[in-house]
Amino acid sequence: MMSQAFKVVFKKEVTENLRDKRTVMSSLVMSAVLGPLMMLGLIIMTTNMTKGKAEEQLELPVINVSGAQNLEQFLLSQGVKIVPLGDKTPEQAIKDKDHDVILEIDENYAADFNAGRVATVKLYFDGSAKGTANISVRKARSLVNAYSSSIGALRLQLRGISPNIMKAVSIQSHDQASLESKGGQMMTFLPYFLILILFSGSMYLAIDTTAGEKERKSLEPLFLNPAKRSDILAGKLAATITFGLLTLVLTMIVFKITLPFYPQKKLGLSLDLGMYKILIMLVVLMPLAVVASAIQTIIASFSKSFKEAQTYVGLLILLPMIPSLLLMFMSVKEKLWMMLVPILSQNLIINQIIRGEEPGMSAILVTIFGTLFFGVVLAWFAVRLYNKETMLFSD
Amino acid sequence: MIQVDRISKSFGEVQAVKEVSLVAEDGKITALLGANGAGKTTSMRMIYALIKPETGVVMVDGINSTENPVAARARMGVLPDARGLYKRLTARENMEYFGRLQGMSEADIKRRADELIQRLGMEKFADRQTDGFSQGQRVKVAIARAIIHDPQNILLDEPTNGLDVMSTRAIRAFLREEKARGKCVLFSSHVMQEVSAVCDEITVVDAGAICATGTEQELLALTQEQNLEDAFVNLVTQKSTVGGVS
Repeated sequence: MMSQAFKVVFKKEVTENLRDKRTVMSSLVMSAVLGPLMMLGLIIMTTNMTKGKAEEQLELPVINVSGAQNLEQFLLSQGVKIVPLGDKTPEQAIKDKDHDVILEIDENYAADFNAGRVATVKLYFDGSAKGTANISVRKARSLVNAYSSSIGALRLQLRGISPNIMKAVSIQSHDQASLESKGGQMMTFLPYFLILILFSGSMYLAIDTTAGEKERKSLEPLFLNPAKRSDILAGKLAATITFGLLTLVLTMIVFKITLPFYPQKKLGLSLDLGMYKILIMLVVLMPLAVVASAIQTIIASFSKSFKEAQTYVGLLILLPMIPSLLLMFMSVKEKLWMMLVPILSQNLIINQIIRGEEPGMSAILVTIFGTLFFGVVLAWFAVRLYNKETMLFSD
Repeated sequence: MIQVDRISKSFGEVQAVKEVSLVAEDGKITALLGANGAGKTTSMRMIYALIKPETGVVMVDGINSTENPVAARARMGVLPDARGLYKRLTARENMEYFGRLQGMSEADIKRRADELIQRLGMEKFADRQTDGFSQGQRVKVAIARAIIHDPQNILLDEPTNGLDVMSTRAIRAFLREEKARGKCVLFSSHVMQEVSAVCDEITVVDAGAICATGTEQELLALTQEQNLEDAFVNLVTQKSTVGGVS
């Protein structure tokens, strides 16, 4: 199986590419080192933003505030800072993102309130706004609700009725999300990130050893040696897989080193990833290196030049995004058959690990062998591509 | 020795090579002479077993190259039209890579590389990475790499294309030495002076088919011209003399 040509080609591709600063920079340094650092930075930044907004004093413009002096007193006592709106209409002010939320007291508020009718206030906000704006809206809404029920309770008591008459059912919340699974919400993009790094780690060699070699016109002389083309290609593919794995292992090491720096307390989560869990993540990802290398080699083989190959392979990298994105927004119950689907299975298992669950041994084994089988089929196809004469020339 | 018997190849509608036959003997330099696009490169690619002929046979030292391309390739050293080097490897490493793929021992590779570096005058750049080499330096490395295993048959596709006088002379002298060592040298060219200067046997191809075969003297006699260039023009324009001399 291991022919002389396979070993010679493998050794040469590895040595040659280690000498290339561009490869070493792009796969090893950029992906493996900067990647995890960037992820850490991103998480620290988002937690600081969310946390800050939640603790911050709510600034609330109230229109027609003189019509509801009790409510104003209540808001002030709850630490709300009532600010002037300015010249704009509330609609415009929200649109221009001057304020996250605006409260308007209805003109009949005082009359209705005094007569014991339902008094109206209007809340302006942008329901599609991203991130921390929702926190302000939630705060304003709950403040008004709290005021409303406290007044309601007072009115019932005045009439000699227990306010509890209004509460037929009371909800006691028991959130079963473990600390880890809350951390999981923040970390759902970790599998995508690791898979992406695996693809990008092997991308350069996949292109360089095929389309690149064709473009530099060294493929024809290479095939004139007394070796089977499939053996030569197998050597190239093995070198590509090696670089993918090298990048992956380095990334995992850097990720493990940066773990203690994640703002776990602030997030209220525990990212308890011991060596054992990191190793499971590594072994389920490793067979994916074969898939990533083979599929990128196939695509690059059909390209005539390095640039053309880069374009196609760049599009391919969007592929592993699909299962990752789906899982970010959908709750999926893990089933064993899903572990047969490469990329999906890695996503599921890594997500389980992040949530603090133990993935079953059968799931891990099915993932490893399912992905490996798929990878071997692709690799078998990749090493035979150049047996077709039309694939040999770029002109 | 290379024997080519009526090989043909077409790409889609275009018949690139039609029933080309030739014999390149040991101890001789044989040329495949033809204009650009005459089918030289395609013929050469079939002869050195990169692509398969649709009809006909190529025998390399008695080995059928269609049936046994790997064994046939081991008997040949080929400088193809595409002669890209690995620019992050040194000239010597380029040679070593191909030596290993030829299955040579490390000791043989070392000995043979030293010999070729000395004979082709590559001492100054042998241990430099080939990135930035001049055209002449690149061709020398490509030739040395192609014949690292000291093959009996040496095939070159337009070896001196784009080279200066000094490099051209060095390569011609080298090919004559190989001929003197009893090797079979076959090269394709469109340069008359070159063919005239080094070749013993000439096969003229035009539009994928053979026009004439013979020594330079025979071709001149056949066409009643004074020089090879005129003889060539005569042969490819009139085509009255198909069949050849020898």
